[in-house]
Amino acid sequence: MSCIEINQLSHHYSRAEQVLKEVSLKVPEGSIYGFLGPNGAGKTTTLRLILGLLRQQSGEIKILGKPFAPHREALLSKIGSLIENPSVYAQLTAMENLKVWQKVYQCPSTRIEEVLDLVGLGHTGKKKAGQFSLGMKQRLGLAAALLHQPSILILDEPTNGLDPGGIVEMRELLKTLNRELGISILVSSHLLSEVEKLATHVGIIHLGQMLFEGTLDELKKRQQQSSGIQFDTGDGAKALQIIQSQHAAAKLENGQVSVPIHDRALIAELNRQLVQAGIPVYQIQAAQNDLETIFMNLIK
Amino acid sequence: MQLIHSIQSEWLKTRRSLAAWLVIIGGFFIPGLQLIGRCVHHQQLGARMDDPRYWETFAGNNWQIMSLFLLPMGVVLAASLITQLEYRNNTWKQVHTTPQAFSTIFVSKLSVILTMMLQFMLLFNLGMFLAGILPSLLFSDVDLPKEKFPLRFFWDTSYNFFICSLPVIALQYLISLQFRNFMIPLGLGLGLVIAALIGAEWKHGYWIPYAYTPYNFFIMRGIKMQATQAVNIHHWALGYTLVFIVLAYILYIFKRDKG
Ligand SMILES: Nc1ncnc2c1ncn2[C@@H]1O[C@H](COP(=O)(O)OP(=O)(O)O)[C@@H](O)[C@H]1O
Ligand SMILES: [Mg+2]
Repeated sequence: MSCIEINQLSHHYSRAEQVLKEVSLKVPEGSIYGFLGPNGAGKTTTLRLILGLLRQQSGEIKILGKPFAPHREALLSKIGSLIENPSVYAQLTAMENLKVWQKVYQCPSTRIEEVLDLVGLGHTGKKKAGQFSLGMKQRLGLAAALLHQPSILILDEPTNGLDPGGIVEMRELLKTLNRELGISILVSSHLLSEVEKLATHVGIIHLGQMLFEGTLDELKKRQQQSSGIQFDTGDGAKALQIIQSQHAAAKLENGQVSVPIHDRALIAELNRQLVQAGIPVYQIQAAQNDLETIFMNLIK
Repeated sequence: MQLIHSIQSEWLKTRRSLAAWLVIIGGFFIPGLQLIGRCVHHQQLGARMDDPRYWETFAGNNWQIMSLFLLPMGVVLAASLITQLEYRNNTWKQVHTTPQAFSTIFVSKLSVILTMMLQFMLLFNLGMFLAGILPSLLFSDVDLPKEKFPLRFFWDTSYNFFICSLPVIALQYLISLQFRNFMIPLGLGLGLVIAALIGAEWKHGYWIPYAYTPYNFFIMRGIKMQATQAVNIHHWALGYTLVFIVLAYILYIFKRDKG
């Protein structure tokens, strides 16, 4: 069963620009769903729509099998969320900030220290949250999201502002929460590398349209198909001829020949043939495999 | 029940906030100045202590500056700051994803503003009482006031000013819920407070929703104004309040973007 399901969701802030175009996605229960897309793709807009922070204009949103709007309060009690820049009351301490939410959720006040320790803010004492670094505010936001022991977490770029150590910690924490408490997590990011290390499922959004949805393994397969080795040579056309005679899939891109092969012996062999034909080989490198390239390949 | 928890939560947010300081400073500012003035010139106080309307006169002096400008301006600031707290800290989105009805949030925030108003009234009255009695305790040449402390008068006066402040609270609440930019509620508030002062003499001045605290002062001092004789300003204040609150609620509920 999917814990979050969106069908044909479109949204526009102004008449001029359709920000989401019939977005559909399914977050399976128990998964860590990486919602991937470059800045401005529509990730935050989608998440805000799921949480009812924006008025829904079309399409359908279901959480735990129920339509959101008529079950808003019941569903929200099962969701913890952290959207965009962190929400903290600057003049209050970490503890006081959580007290604000604890009163509303009516969860035991012992939870406050539990979650503060969990995110590593147990030591901040009397320090006001306004003096926290962005990373600390982000952790406080996560603590607030976890306070009421939700079964779904919706996190919008939660590693923003964290240092490399903090990013690893956050990732491990999310994995632990998912594994040990069975919390389903929908987490957005603009970094493929981050999603790769964390998610079990991936949805890719670009310019308001879903380009891909599936498991991480399925994405990796696609990625491999599109990747390979690039030869930077003195004569691209001639090099292409030689390589294509053995690997029909070879292509000329920006003067470089790219071939979808990974076998080291084959690469050496191709290199030998090029040199033999008198073509200077300047560089042999793994083809770029970043998000941009994957997008480009997905759009094609 | 949820409403009580929600109000508790809202109340926690006001801790160390500008609005909370404003209430304390606003409550003690004028009585404090009065006290200092009376301590410095305590030789001239002696005769006044015999005044059979000592407390009424003293309260009138305190309420004068308060009601004409400081109270409406303070209410403008405090009511706007309470909602501004959520905009400035980017917390609306967090508030609006807690499992409580929008109407609960609306009512609890308004309750907090009203509670702060009561708090202010309490502090201001306490301040007046202290400023009225302390010189007698501090200086041997100043007797205790002859007049018994007119609790009823102080209560009624505060009650009337409270009613007269309600439309200001309600309209500021309406505006500040709608706009992220603090200058909008502040500018509008300041504009209306000044308009009320300028328009006070106008015979239809009771149309200006921020004019009731000055009018209440004129009534208290027995100053006859065309507007205050034409209508019951307290009924008008309550009428405006009702309209503003209903409007504020509707606009808040139908706001497209909830953070
Ligand atoms: N409040 C808003 N008003 C108008 N346009 C907006 C607003 N928020 C976002 N947008 C636009 O919607 C698009 C998607 O933004 P967003 O959902 O924030 O993307 P992401 O989170 O993927 O970076 C962008 O083009 C952005 O400029
Ligand atoms: Mg975003």
